[in-house]
Amino acid sequence: MSLLTVEHLTMRFGGLVAVDDVGFAAEEGRITALIGPNGAGKTTVFNCLTGFYKPDTGRLALRADGREHLLERLDDFRVASEAKVARTFQNIRIFPQMSVLENLMVAQHNRLMRASGYTLLGLVGAGRFRVAERAAVDRATYWLDRVGLTDRADVDAGTLPYGGQRRLEIARAMCTEPVLLCLDEPAAGLNPRESAELNALLTFIKAVHRIGILLIEHDMSVVMGISDHIVVLDHGAKISEGPPDFVRNDPAVIRAYLGEEEAEDG
Amino acid sequence: MTAGTLAERGAAFLPTALKEAGIAAGIALLLALPLVGARTVSEGSAFVVTPRIVELALGVAFVFAGRLAIASLRGGHHLPVIVGALAVAALGWRFALPSAFLGVVAIAGGLAVACIGAIGLLRARRDEIPAVARIDTAGLLRQALGWLGPALIALAIVLPFLPFADRRLMDIAILVLTYVMLGWGLNIVVGLAGLLDLGYVAFYAVGAYSYALIAREFGLDFWSCLPLAGVFAAFFGIILGFPVLRLRGDYLAIVTLGFGEMIRIILLNWYNFTGGPDGISGVPRPTFFGLPFKRAPPEGVESFHQFLGIDYASIHRTYFLYFLVLALALITNAFTLRIRRLPIGRAWEALREDEIACRSLGINPTNTKLTAFAIGAMFGGFAGSFFATRQGFISPESFTFIESAIILAIVVLGGMGSQIGVVLAALVLIGLPEFFRELHEYRMLAFGACMVLITVWRPRGLLASRDPMIRLSRRRARP
Repeated sequence: MSLLTVEHLTMRFGGLVAVDDVGFAAEEGRITALIGPNGAGKTTVFNCLTGFYKPDTGRLALRADGREHLLERLDDFRVASEAKVARTFQNIRIFPQMSVLENLMVAQHNRLMRASGYTLLGLVGAGRFRVAERAAVDRATYWLDRVGLTDRADVDAGTLPYGGQRRLEIARAMCTEPVLLCLDEPAAGLNPRESAELNALLTFIKAVHRIGILLIEHDMSVVMGISDHIVVLDHGAKISEGPPDFVRNDPAVIRAYLGEEEAEDG
Repeated sequence: MTAGTLAERGAAFLPTALKEAGIAAGIALLLALPLVGARTVSEGSAFVVTPRIVELALGVAFVFAGRLAIASLRGGHHLPVIVGALAVAALGWRFALPSAFLGVVAIAGGLAVACIGAIGLLRARRDEIPAVARIDTAGLLRQALGWLGPALIALAIVLPFLPFADRRLMDIAILVLTYVMLGWGLNIVVGLAGLLDLGYVAFYAVGAYSYALIAREFGLDFWSCLPLAGVFAAFFGIILGFPVLRLRGDYLAIVTLGFGEMIRIILLNWYNFTGGPDGISGVPRPTFFGLPFKRAPPEGVESFHQFLGIDYASIHRTYFLYFLVLALALITNAFTLRIRRLPIGRAWEALREDEIACRSLGINPTNTKLTAFAIGAMFGGFAGSFFATRQGFISPESFTFIESAIILAIVVLGGMGSQIGVVLAALVLIGLPEFFRELHEYRMLAFGACMVLITVWRPRGLLASRDPMIRLSRRRARP
């Protein structure tokens, strides 16, 4: 069984059908990309997956810790805390006035809350909490090293350059120890060098941490370079699906991106 | 900058400066003519309008001089402006001007302009000094701030033993500390969790009435009622918070404002229970852990002065109340500083920064906000029961919206989330108006002026800088 199974997902906004009967699957240890022209409904699929929208119909099943979670029934914060789905945002959402390290500590909130006895043990400075906190700082340091932000750990996150903020958001999502990482246009606004670094980071996460990665992306060098499986949406419907080489040459995809030749002729 | 350009600038600036000052004075004249220029006096049955030429002329002259001074400072003429401003201040001090207000304007305005001039002069000089010799003012300020907290606490502890600590000073100190405590309590809600609460006084009222009512109905003393008052206030915080915390920003502010008024109106109208507008009198005074502060205690009870074997003095109770509220305030502060290092405190701050990001990280926003609301309310309740025991009498009069507004002003002007900022703002907003009661109605004007000045110069509050509570490196990293 797949890590994530999406079946018959439909989401309407008033009369507009943003996502129309879409189904796909994402696997553990693989990168699944969701592509399509602007307004194809990619971010809506993400918002349904992560609980920010409640889909009209559809089944979103995620397998984590040997249990099956139905994402469409969970509140947004439960999707993250129980089903272990982490996400980043198209327009970066870090905590700008908190330090980089604090951003990563917030991501480990639930684990630290339990260790601090829901604050009571923490108030009296129990040893158990201090151990957990040190472990949390170690985890944060690990990810800071991976994204190259260790020397900026104590500065306000808002002062990082754009690319740094993007990497911090990914590190923060990884600090929640997810089984599925959903990235909404992680390469947007990055220069080619940063884009290549992002590829390396995602490949590392896939290879070493063996989690599933779901990716919305416009940058084809990222998508074609690292994806194992690509799902193409257009006007809310799935028009193609398969490995990169297949999707690249699929006439339906070319039509969606470049327009129909017949229409231009006529 | 060479001497030549300075002279050129000096020559060019005078006409524009005079023009600017003239315009400002003209506007002042237009505004002041109806407001200041005429005074209605009732002579017997008739109303007579008497002109106030001197006041009007002096006021307009002050505006002219002030504007000219500011323009001259911009032109680089620091020294003459400083001398002139000091002269005006001395004038206001030495001679009795037609009204006390003009005197205040002359002194305060003169000193302010002189200060600005002096700062400008130092800045101009500093630019001529090579960078290596320059003093790192920001770093010094930061260091000074680090010492300010302990210094203030030390001062607060020795204050009652100082020779000038009379009854009046102690009363003002108790009042200021009460507001510091309320400010620190509200700081948890507004400064850390970013929930704009305009009805904080409701929890203050709940704490005060809890203590008064429990003491009256069950005869419990202050020390048993204090935790109960906190629990009740926190309970009310949860009751209010549960339905409304899904609202954000302005909407939350309006609902909390309404809640604050509701509590007051309930207290006013539930006559059988709360005594309505008559309030509750005879609230038990605090005891020194069971020893009352009374000249002649009831039979079989030892009083504080008997226990210590000293003479009775009514100020003992004032000192005790002072140390009580100081301890309560410091507990609030210690709690806040501690909880900011815990995950819940970090989650509050994260929630203030970006709620959606918090949700995506698995933080339950409702529970997190509720704890902030309940803990803030709890400290409000503690402060309320202190208020009740200090006054000995409470009525809904004491819990009006203006109290909420003042507490919020203390938090916002102090710098959201800054603990020392709250102390400074409470000193400015509560202490100064109490000290300058002689100025009568002008003290509220000065209160307003303070608020305007702080918002203009420090829009993010007196002390708005925030240091991370957890660091990777031991050394203080500077960006």
